[in-house]
Amino acid sequence: MSRRITRATASAALVALTLGACAPSADSPEPGAAAGEGCDGDAVTLDVWSWRTEDVKTYERIFDVFEEANPCITVSFQAHLNTEYDQILRTGLTGSDGPDVAQVRSYGLLQPLVEGGNLQPLDDVVPELAEFDDAALDGARGREDGSVYGVPLATQTIQVWYNTAIFEENGLSEPETWDDFLALNDTLLEAGVTPLAVGARDGWFVPTVHDALTAARYGGADFQQALRDGETDFTDPAYVASIQTLKDLQEYMPDDVTGVAYTDAQVLFTSGQAAMFPGGSYEQAFFQEANPDLELGVFQVPPPPGSAVDHPVTPGYADGNWGLSAATQHPDEARTLLSWLASPEFGQLVADELKQFSPVPGVEYADPLQQEMWDLYQESPAPYLLLVDYRYGDPTGTDLMGQAGQKLFLGDTDAAGAADIVQDGLSAWWTPGE
Amino acid sequence: MSRRRTAALPTPVALLFLLPAAVLFGVFVLYPMATALTYSLFSWRGTAQEAFVGLDNFVALFTTEPYRTELPRAFGHNALLFGGAMVAQNSVGLLLAVLLHQRERFRRLFQVLFTMPYLVSPLVVGYLWSLLLSPLFGPVNALLRAVGLDAVAQPWLGDPDTALWVVVLVTAWQWVGFPLLVYGAALGALDPSTQEAAMLDGAGAAQRFWHVTLPLLTPVIGTVSVLTFIFSMEAFPIPYALGGSSGSPAGATDVMSLLFYRTAFRSGASNAIGVSSAVAIVLFLVIVGVSVAFTRWFRGVERRLT
Repeated sequence: MSRRITRATASAALVALTLGACAPSADSPEPGAAAGEGCDGDAVTLDVWSWRTEDVKTYERIFDVFEEANPCITVSFQAHLNTEYDQILRTGLTGSDGPDVAQVRSYGLLQPLVEGGNLQPLDDVVPELAEFDDAALDGARGREDGSVYGVPLATQTIQVWYNTAIFEENGLSEPETWDDFLALNDTLLEAGVTPLAVGARDGWFVPTVHDALTAARYGGADFQQALRDGETDFTDPAYVASIQTLKDLQEYMPDDVTGVAYTDAQVLFTSGQAAMFPGGSYEQAFFQEANPDLELGVFQVPPPPGSAVDHPVTPGYADGNWGLSAATQHPDEARTLLSWLASPEFGQLVADELKQFSPVPGVEYADPLQQEMWDLYQESPAPYLLLVDYRYGDPTGTDLMGQAGQKLFLGDTDAAGAADIVQDGLSAWWTPGE
Repeated sequence: MSRRRTAALPTPVALLFLLPAAVLFGVFVLYPMATALTYSLFSWRGTAQEAFVGLDNFVALFTTEPYRTELPRAFGHNALLFGGAMVAQNSVGLLLAVLLHQRERFRRLFQVLFTMPYLVSPLVVGYLWSLLLSPLFGPVNALLRAVGLDAVAQPWLGDPDTALWVVVLVTAWQWVGFPLLVYGAALGALDPSTQEAAMLDGAGAAQRFWHVTLPLLTPVIGTVSVLTFIFSMEAFPIPYALGGSSGSPAGATDVMSLLFYRTAFRSGASNAIGVSSAVAIVLFLVIVGVSVAFTRWFRGVERRLT
């Protein structure tokens, strides 16, 4: 009999062991050097989650600054793999072991957390938000109540990168007019250089290219407003014309562009085989790392003839927010942290240490190229339309444009047909004016 | 004939040893499956479960866009993946297994070589092939052009007519070792006297294969086919690596798992969890239903042959 009990105990222990191995290890908070020292109240540790595994060291340095000013608060920063983050965060915020403050996505992908009641509205909690630009706050708003659910973390801008050395060799300069732009593409084509490094195999990249090259054609922010007001939809002649312009520029892209991956396009550009790369400000770090000798410039594409606006525009979008967990045990300390994350001090650290655009007003950029992109965006901002307003349902606007653009490049549809694909797809969940 | 009591251990002890695996299976397989089923019967607001809606999510799946068009398209692509795998993976695997069975030398070496890609993560295999097939830098097209086959060089993954077959071939490249090993083992277990008897009766090599070896392999072919069907229905990493989450180009490589992934994690739709769970349940029912039906039918075929 006793042997039986021993056996039972042994197997029970075995089961416990196996299960224990599967459970996430309790993250023992490491009190930083500053924590505790000089703290005359209760020391509190805040769990902060992020998808930026590549920035862990930088963030630890950044939060050291905060901890020094707030000796009673220790920030325990944990990064999860970007591709798994959304799933992990959803579980974390609904369970008990979640973060107090977490990086959350912008626009559509923020909504599941807002609707699930996992985040607290911040309008009254973080007064600094009043200083922020509306376009940045749009990325943090709940779709239904319009409240702000996050402190905007970063902004990305979309423009055309160019290789200044190739431009100089061919006697080219930044284009002032649409004709200039076409002429320089022709010159490059004749010189045997691929003018535009574009890859359309990755669907998500197609709408980025479309907006980088032709946002002025359909009118940028004005068109966004007209859609919001219900005055038009995506079959609008101006939008169709912008897609036609994209098709017209295909001759300056690599052959078989739908077979060219986004990473291929990056390599084309960084290896000097292509002269221009229509893409996001987030490319800078990769470009400079891949080829430190690469001399980079940026410009906005001049408006094509017939454009809805008479000046070039820079599309941009909010990229991530800091959200406050509804389940936090330390709401006061978390608010202190969020106020700091909305402060010019943190904004400047985002610019200097993380090399990102901070939406905090008044931040300066040491890198002249970064400052130039930011100034261009401030002068004539436009929304990265399909990402900003059209990711609140299924299918998303960016996915639809990805498919429509691929069909357009393959010759399976024309510009009007591509616009129809976007409009028909979106009509599953979106009505103009709502 | 039947010797039912084969257990080496008394039943309680055997159960005790089965317990850990059973608990793990319950926690990590049965429980998630049951939750997915319940999830699909509710409406959701983000991560918050709302009202019980019965089969509404399933109705939405079959009647509203984009699912009404994407679901059959994705399912069709899965079916093509299965058909392609039967030809490009299992038939080739059987052929290789027979060829290797006939030779002693290097058999192990070739078995290891053919099975090797199997050990690499399918995501890695997918990305590797997407690099090899790049129209700009890929060695595949460079090689074709170098030997004068310019007309054959294609934007393999950029053309909707070829992209899905690339997925089939890359999958076959990775998994051909599986039928090879299973068929190899089955061939080794066949009684050589049947071959000898056929030879004495004057049967040629082809006749022996068609009329002796193949019928004897039927049970194994059935098992391999069912497993291939399940793998093909669940295909995710290779299509994802080759065509991204939207099945580029223009949805030509979209499959059920990608549709599930997009619906669950890439959409901003409020009821994403409800609808995506319904997708998962439909996929599960198709796999179980077809697998059971196929196994039943195949048992009948076996009985007629033996």
